[in-house]
Amino acid sequence: MSQPSEAREAVGDYKAGWHDPENSTIRFDFGLSEKVVRDISELKSEPEWMTEMRLKAYRHFTERPMPDWGNTEVLEGIDFDNVCYFLRSSDETGETWEDVPEDIRNTFERLGIPEAEQKWLSGVTAQYESETVYHSIREDLEKQGVVFLDMDSGLKEYEEIVRRYFGTVVPFSDNKFSALNTAVWSGGSFIYVPKGVSVEMPVQAYFRINAKNMGQFERTLIIADEGSSIHYVEGCTAPTYSTDSLHSAVVELIALPGAHIRYTTVQNWSNNVYNLVTKRGVAHEDSKIEWVDGNIGSKLTMKYPAVILKGEGSHAEVISVAYAGAGQHQDAGAKVHHLASNTTSNILSKSISKDGGRGSYRGMAKIMPKAENCRMNIVCDALILDEGSRSDTYPTMEVGNASAHCEHEASVSKVGDEQLFYLMSRGHTEAEALGMIVNGFFEPFTKELPMEYAVELNKLMALEMEGSIG
Amino acid sequence: MDSSSEYLSLEEPRRAVHLWRYTPWKKVHPTGDISDIPDEVGSPRLSLKCIDGDVPEGVRLIHGAGPLEGLPESDATTSSFIRAITEESSWTVEVDRGFSPGKTVILEIEVESPISAAHVCLKIGRHANLELVTHVKGECEWLGLLRTGSTGEGSNTSDVVVNVLNGGTLLRVDAIHIERDSQVKAGTISSGSETTKSDLRYRMGEPGGNLNVLGSILSSEDMSLDHHIEIHHDAPETFSRLDWHSACGGKSKTVGTGMLRVAKGSRGADAAQLFQNLLISETAQADSIPELEVSENEVVGCGHGTASGPVDEDQLFYLGTRGLSTEQAKSMLIAAFLNSTLSEMGSPEMHDWLVEMLTDDLDALGI
Repeated sequence: MSQPSEAREAVGDYKAGWHDPENSTIRFDFGLSEKVVRDISELKSEPEWMTEMRLKAYRHFTERPMPDWGNTEVLEGIDFDNVCYFLRSSDETGETWEDVPEDIRNTFERLGIPEAEQKWLSGVTAQYESETVYHSIREDLEKQGVVFLDMDSGLKEYEEIVRRYFGTVVPFSDNKFSALNTAVWSGGSFIYVPKGVSVEMPVQAYFRINAKNMGQFERTLIIADEGSSIHYVEGCTAPTYSTDSLHSAVVELIALPGAHIRYTTVQNWSNNVYNLVTKRGVAHEDSKIEWVDGNIGSKLTMKYPAVILKGEGSHAEVISVAYAGAGQHQDAGAKVHHLASNTTSNILSKSISKDGGRGSYRGMAKIMPKAENCRMNIVCDALILDEGSRSDTYPTMEVGNASAHCEHEASVSKVGDEQLFYLMSRGHTEAEALGMIVNGFFEPFTKELPMEYAVELNKLMALEMEGSIG
Repeated sequence: MDSSSEYLSLEEPRRAVHLWRYTPWKKVHPTGDISDIPDEVGSPRLSLKCIDGDVPEGVRLIHGAGPLEGLPESDATTSSFIRAITEESSWTVEVDRGFSPGKTVILEIEVESPISAAHVCLKIGRHANLELVTHVKGECEWLGLLRTGSTGEGSNTSDVVVNVLNGGTLLRVDAIHIERDSQVKAGTISSGSETTKSDLRYRMGEPGGNLNVLGSILSSEDMSLDHHIEIHHDAPETFSRLDWHSACGGKSKTVGTGMLRVAKGSRGADAAQLFQNLLISETAQADSIPELEVSENEVVGCGHGTASGPVDEDQLFYLGTRGLSTEQAKSMLIAAFLNSTLSEMGSPEMHDWLVEMLTDDLDALGI
């Protein structure tokens, strides 16, 4: 394990910040061009339509200006010419951990993935740099017809399904970074859950960036057929370098009538990663999509999980938390569009800013004129723990139907002196008391996580709170 | 650089900017050609009066408006544009130190020319007690109203603007500085003009300021009313509240955007914003975007909320059981919704005068 001192200084005490020696089998030169896009597609032996879509997306990316909203100053710092757009670490995807190259296997062991798989997961996919290095699914689920593959294999084995749904929820023209992802996507998960099948235990994907100046552009597509349900969990880490990496994923969820998809993310990128992600789901009749989204790391996160409530009676739930520490800007939020009648949505967002960090909630909640009897509720709470930190809330509510009931409330405050005093009068130190208050503040999020994740997150937050008193 | 040159040097405002997201500059420019600064701009008639009796000593309307210190930063496009066309049409309402007449002063702005504009500057002396209603009326295609002002130390001001223009477009830009220990109730009542774009900004630049911004907005038919309210806390121990009620009927659209900015160093700031929309027809639309930027951790609290919904069924039912028809009950609830902010804007005397004046508008809508 090596960790340059300048990087350590830049990113602090980040647990997952080690990096392995880079043993790539294929590594593209830095920079993006039409040739890079064609080469990625050719390397993966993709069908013609996908190559064409990549090229259209690439052209759109080059023409589209950078967003003129959000933290434009930090965004302008991205040097697209100094990013590696494809790096293959292993020539094949392992089906057992023994098939995975040793150094990569060690990385995932240190992150606790194989152990978690044995205990509480229905399936695991592990992505290292641009491609998946390990993949498994429980046999009984496979027999029921559940498809859980990395996206590259999904395209090969289920081309018709992928062609039907790919880019329908997040078209490449949606924004600059969805165009970039569509042009150079690699890896990610492809999941299809057949009618009526309920996947009881979560499936997990783990994303790891190891190399310097790496760009990770995974693409995930989850289709839950009528009456089915699935819980997908993803985790992300990267080493601490003094130069920046770019993570720009696209996730598309399709919940067909009566289906239920829960998508949980615990993002703990190191503080040199730009995390610019587009996540969106379409909910058909009586279906439910839930985004449970935790943002702990990264330099700049811009992520607004969205749900389009297309079918009558559908429901959206977004629970997101963000921790913004030194040098970080967590610009997270949620979007819900009520297209159909009798649809409901709930958004709960919590953020903590500390050591000069900036936490922002940015949301869009829209009720279309023809959507009758819709209800939406949005709650944003923020804590600012010290001087120099900042918290913002930028919500938008557009109500086009008179029968809608919509509510939004937000509050920004500091940790109450009374709360600290009460806990200290029960024998806790000030630091312990603060840690407990912060964990309590995040509790609506942690209680939705699988237990192992919740325990890990609580530990992580306790670590972040160290030294915040006095 | 003079105001005309400044305006012409600016680029068209981007839609990504909070202020211009819903009603672009082109839509509220008097000619629609944003490179044009019209030559023929009329000057509205301004006069001071009182609800009851003569204008008291200590308040006067003077031609011309001087610069003020401590104003919040305004949008460059609108403020330079209005300044460019109001060089001959600027006025100051000057209020003496310690002024306390115990009655409501009315500033009438009567518009006659198709394109009109005025700059009104409020100079309120220390420890003055002022209740001022700016009554905007008449008929025009376009009115630009720039209001700048500074409330004197320890003063107590109710500053209410009533827009009952007969059609046309109103572009209103306010930039008000809340001085040390002064209390301000800033009310907006809008039931006139087909299109309204207003950008109201308040800066609490000294400790102890207390600001209460209130809105009673009634939109109907094809109206498009867009109000943007910014409150900047730039000093310790400042307090602000915003309570904005919009009732939307017909095919109208109302937009309420807010920005509450608490700067670093504003310890003890206490700020909250609330936008409430009552949708009274199926085709009306209401958008609310209350934004919050807090850079100080030692605050009492900062928050915002927004709620939109139809007339409450339970309340209608309750009034129905008391013998009111559905229409009567609905009218009563809409009036009560608008009155809940209207009644907070000033004295009972001012309230009665406002209600009497607005009754015709409500009647015309069957409310």
